[in-house]
Amino acid sequence: MTFARRAWVVVWKDLLVERRSKETLNALVFFSLLLLFVFQFALGPDRERLAATLPGLLWLGFILAGLLGLGRTFVLERENDCWEGLLLAPGDKSAIYLLLMLVVEAMLLALFVIFFNLEIAAALPGLALVVLLGTVGLAAVGTLFAAMTAQVRARELLFPVLLLPVQVPVLLGTVKATEAVLLGEPLGAVAHWLKLLAAADVIYVAAGVLTFDFLLES
Amino acid sequence: MRRATSVFGWLAAAGLLAGLVMGFGVAPRETTQGNVQRIMYLHVPSVWVAYVAFAVVFVASIAYLARRAEAADRLAHASAEVGVLFTGLTIATGSIWGKPTWGTWWTWDARLTSVAILFVMYIGYLLLRGMIEERERAARYAAVLGIVAALNIPLVHFSVVWWRTLHQPPSLMKPGGSAMPGIMIVALVVNFVAFSLLYVYFVAKRARLLRLEEEAAA
Amino acid sequence: MGDNWGFVLAAYALAAVVLWAYWRRLARKEKELDLK
Repeated sequence: MTFARRAWVVVWKDLLVERRSKETLNALVFFSLLLLFVFQFALGPDRERLAATLPGLLWLGFILAGLLGLGRTFVLERENDCWEGLLLAPGDKSAIYLLLMLVVEAMLLALFVIFFNLEIAAALPGLALVVLLGTVGLAAVGTLFAAMTAQVRARELLFPVLLLPVQVPVLLGTVKATEAVLLGEPLGAVAHWLKLLAAADVIYVAAGVLTFDFLLES
Repeated sequence: MRRATSVFGWLAAAGLLAGLVMGFGVAPRETTQGNVQRIMYLHVPSVWVAYVAFAVVFVASIAYLARRAEAADRLAHASAEVGVLFTGLTIATGSIWGKPTWGTWWTWDARLTSVAILFVMYIGYLLLRGMIEERERAARYAAVLGIVAALNIPLVHFSVVWWRTLHQPPSLMKPGGSAMPGIMIVALVVNFVAFSLLYVYFVAKRARLLRLEEEAAA
Repeated sequence: MGDNWGFVLAAYALAAVVLWAYWRRLARKEKELDLK
């Protein structure tokens, strides 16, 4: 089996499980809805203030949803004792990692759409780019750390504690770039942030692919 | 081995004493900042040691994954702990320096922010180590985290610098700034050497302790 | 600008206490383990 094929098999497995149960997705969609409520209550009904803080809120929502969702990435494998199944899968185990990353990314993108009730049609291509770059970074490190904390006691606590500091560059970059894009500025104005995000993605994905095997062995 | 360690201890003690003499006795009073500038002889060597310590964690982590030598893992563990100690010291002394100089204990200046992020990142590293019981798994996971955290340092640095300097140029104490008299540089170098010796001493002692603990547990 | 000796003293005292405390902790643990 080729790398891509193995990756696809694992993606397919996770998609299938998710489609049958829908437990993670349903809960996360509902959670994001609640987050919208909370932001609204915390900031009051003032629309201008809400609009000014929107980029930050948006990524706060992503990160929080990502923490919950990514933290569950390996729960199924652990609870159902399939961890060994991942181990026994022949060949390059990094395939699993790439796969799970893509699943999580698609989910976060869907959440992104739900969050919106602004006029964004013009900014959509730029926004899609920023979100893609940011999500790859988030998912890459998140999956790696989720695998790391899956078998640790107090993992619910440890996972965000590890992930949040590492995510600071991605968070800063995406918030700044989102802000510019929503204000209708050209992407060239935030090119340095986009480059930083791209560099972060390359580094995280490379580090993830190279080190993931060390987490799975036992 | 123990002999060599205690030699380093004595050298470090002598170096620190010499550093105090240089910093307070020999180096002149700085003209614009006044005597409060003398905190620099503590602050800058601390941050130097912290960065060296995290670089050592990075190299030792790679060495562990490649060779599976427990000595490399103990070195990484010891170095991370000492690094966190000196990062904390850097933040505390910087804060004490900032109060009279800037009039505030804390500001989201680029350098302060990136050191603070380093601090929480490596506290997370130590937490992860503490939460995994199996010796071998803890070493493996910590090594992966040690690599990811180190790769993240340049990203954190650039993102935070861009984030802040758009608003205000960093105006921190700059060693090697325009008009630093040579004698001050000498005092600084003496403290650099002393802190580096102290680092070696602490890490050697801590690594030996880790070995003794493992032997006692076995 | 004033001299703020209090702040200088505080910084050095803090550093001394922290480094000394860490050293003490290492030395004490080492002693315990050496006795075993």
